[in-house]
Amino acid sequence: MLSASVLLTIAVSLLSVVSLLFLAQGARGTDWMTLWMDETWRDSLGITLYVVLASTCMSLLIGTWLARTVSFRQWPFVSRVLRLPMFVPHIAAAYLFLILFSGQSGGGWFDANEPHYVTVILTYVWKEVPFVFLMMGVTYEQVNQGYRDMARTLQLSPVQQFRHAELPFLIKPLLDTFWILTAFISFAYEVPSLLGVTYPKLLGVLAYDRLSTGLYLESSEPYAVALVWTVFVTGGVVVSYMATHRLRRRIERGVRR
Amino acid sequence: MKTWGMGLLLSLFVWSLAGCGSESSVSFSDSFEDAVSASEQTTVNFYLWGGDEGINRYLDDFVAPRLQERYGIELNRVPMDTAEFIRQLSLDKKADRKQGSIDLVWINGDNFRNAREAGLLRDELPKRVPNADLLNETAQQSDAGTPTDGLELAWGNVQFVLHYDAAKVAEPPSTFEELRRWTEDNPGRFTYPEVTDFTGNAFIRHLLVARYGTGLSDGTEIEDTFWDELTSWGPYLWKEGRTYPPTLEQLDQLYASGDIWMTMGFNERRAEAEVREGVFPKETKALVLDHSIASTHFLAIPYNAPNPDGALVVMNELLSPEAQRVKQSAEYWGDGTSLDLSKLNDREQAEFEALEAGTTYPDPDLLRERAVPDYGPAIIDAVREEWPRVVR
Repeated sequence: MLSASVLLTIAVSLLSVVSLLFLAQGARGTDWMTLWMDETWRDSLGITLYVVLASTCMSLLIGTWLARTVSFRQWPFVSRVLRLPMFVPHIAAAYLFLILFSGQSGGGWFDANEPHYVTVILTYVWKEVPFVFLMMGVTYEQVNQGYRDMARTLQLSPVQQFRHAELPFLIKPLLDTFWILTAFISFAYEVPSLLGVTYPKLLGVLAYDRLSTGLYLESSEPYAVALVWTVFVTGGVVVSYMATHRLRRRIERGVRR
Repeated sequence: MKTWGMGLLLSLFVWSLAGCGSESSVSFSDSFEDAVSASEQTTVNFYLWGGDEGINRYLDDFVAPRLQERYGIELNRVPMDTAEFIRQLSLDKKADRKQGSIDLVWINGDNFRNAREAGLLRDELPKRVPNADLLNETAQQSDAGTPTDGLELAWGNVQFVLHYDAAKVAEPPSTFEELRRWTEDNPGRFTYPEVTDFTGNAFIRHLLVARYGTGLSDGTEIEDTFWDELTSWGPYLWKEGRTYPPTLEQLDQLYASGDIWMTMGFNERRAEAEVREGVFPKETKALVLDHSIASTHFLAIPYNAPNPDGALVVMNELLSPEAQRVKQSAEYWGDGTSLDLSKLNDREQAEFEALEAGTTYPDPDLLRERAVPDYGPAIIDAVREEWPRVVR
């Protein structure tokens, strides 16, 4: 059993390293200054950061709030309904939102394919909230109720109750989920390709465009961008892991008690 | 058991990294007859753009059964964007992969230029394919300014036209300038695909011809005023020009659903089958403006084709008078023939002449009169590079 898990760990980390090596290989010969000065890539980075942060943060807030509410109020039915969007593939969700918000059926609020990427963000929020709900729901099931009771006994305000009796336990899964969603949304293709606009494009769509059109056939730039972004996400995971390392250890011991 | 599975996974992984063996490349048989017998009971993987139902049906319903029946060859049509399989081939070349997976490709324009520069195609095709003797020599000579050098054989000849819904457009424009004014009078009813798309790029090249004539040479820079003018179309286009359909398929969908009132594309006969099937509006008519770029598209065999003999046989069949005639008929595709009709016998010529004209076809004389040659790949690249400022 042990050797299987060791092998699996090796295989998984090896694949990540190999993917980085492949990207580095593809990115060879990139003029980094030109890449940085390229307005198209820069605008794409800007819009990508905005879409990723908006979708991820909204999903985390709504998902966590739902998990908390459902866990405290014991609503098994709601919990089941909330999981439904997870079974809808992203491409189907994108089509659904395209139909909901385009042309005559748009309802007039906002349109699919508009430069603020509202429909893209909405699609991601609808799709990722259940994922956050799942991750945070498990956490809420495991949190020792004693801490909340104690906070209440000490007559802390609701905000302080949350800060002292819940938040410390949420940080680890929140950070994990944050980076999973960031990595996923930042380089995903189908949703922004269907609901996005011609300019600026999200990084994943632009990279694919550059990879598959004649003019850029020999170009190393998409690889370079993917490499930088992968390093950024990996770095983010490592930093957030290190920053919360002591807290995690304390909680693990605390929960096991 | 688990450990064993993991070990297997790891070794598979290492194997895939190491590459899949050291096969040697497959060369052509000495004669076409040998190629025919060598390719019996084999499969030919034909990679081509798959965005047009008429083309797909032509290959699946007409060509594939014929090949199976006559030569025992199975045609495997693989739909893929042209630049994408050219990219795959250039990666093969870099990795020195001597036996790839692609036997035959449909190609032209800048993709051919790229493939030619990277040495991705086999040469001497006119000598190896008997029906190549029937080809129209002008069409066969060059591909949008790049000499073909026997690396590809002309498969079809088409011209660029717009199509419009006559039920909605009472007075269609007759020049590109009138088209611009028409968009102002009918806001939101016209757009064109992004210039990374073959057709979208060609539309912009038509506007370039309207301004500079056909003399815009590769080194010339396109003036800022041209792009400023194009930007001024924006507010009157579909979605106020904030976004453009990424592909011709999406433009066609918008036209089919009535969101926009005009579509466009290479091949003056392409709307016929769509109208017959009820996809395009019934009143669809062709629109020839000041000029129409004529374009030839080609077939080629990759350097590392695993079944080059089979590819030769398929090519020969695709260039046969009968296959070319059915291709040109409105039944499937409506693609103009690449053959020189004067080289065919009387019966074959008569059969071509007997093809009926569709309701969406433009006046053939007018179309011929307005035909202009395409710019070279450098202008295609320039349009790709500079157009984004229009949507910024």
